[in-house]
Amino acid sequence: MRKVFSVVLALALIVILLFGVADLPTFGNAENPSNNEVSYRYLEEGVEETGAVNVVAGIILDYRAFDTFGEATVLFTALITVIAVLRRDEDE
Amino acid sequence: MNKPAVEAERSEILTEVGKLIIPFIQVFAIYVILNGHLSPGGGFAGGTILGASMILHRLIFGWDNLISRLTYDRVMKWMCASLLIYGALKGYSFLTGGMHLEVWDVPLGTPGKLLSGGFILPLNIAVGIIVSITVYVFFKLFYEGTI
Repeated sequence: MRKVFSVVLALALIVILLFGVADLPTFGNAENPSNNEVSYRYLEEGVEETGAVNVVAGIILDYRAFDTFGEATVLFTALITVIAVLRRDEDE
Repeated sequence: MNKPAVEAERSEILTEVGKLIIPFIQVFAIYVILNGHLSPGGGFAGGTILGASMILHRLIFGWDNLISRLTYDRVMKWMCASLLIYGALKGYSFLTGGMHLEVWDVPLGTPGKLLSGGFILPLNIAVGIIVSITVYVFFKLFYEGTI
């Protein structure tokens, strides 16, 4: 029963995800939503708005700083998990 | 503290070359972190270099040195402090900027100078601390099983 249920669940998920993929815009099309004004804004006014000459640092630590906060938190969580699993006690 | 199970033989050449080369690696790592907003690099790259230099130090000079006494308490203190500083600084800037509050904002300075770019320099330092400690502690945990 559980096996049948898991197979049905997996198939349903696959169908849903494939419907999602079918709606994606074609690769490399100039009309795609990713080709918008954001990149031009970053390149033209990034130095003025963030004060950083390195545009990459200006993007990841100023415009998208919350994303980098998430990355740092992922590292922190991974470290805590590995310590909890692998650490030996001192008196052993 | 118990000695770790894995303790390699140390040769004279390795020790002397390590004494010579490790300070340069660490100075370069700090340079990469501090110049993250001026040149390629930043907290992630510089933190990895710093962590690699700590791993090299641990491999060459062994257990009886200062760096390997990065105990559990100190790891937790440094990581939590860095994360909290990051969250506080960027949370302040997001809240005040997002709500258009007319409060004090960090000056951006002249682009190209070391002290410029608002919060980018302290954020780079916080990320560098987190990444270097993570790299070093991962190596030490998988190599020896203790912090």
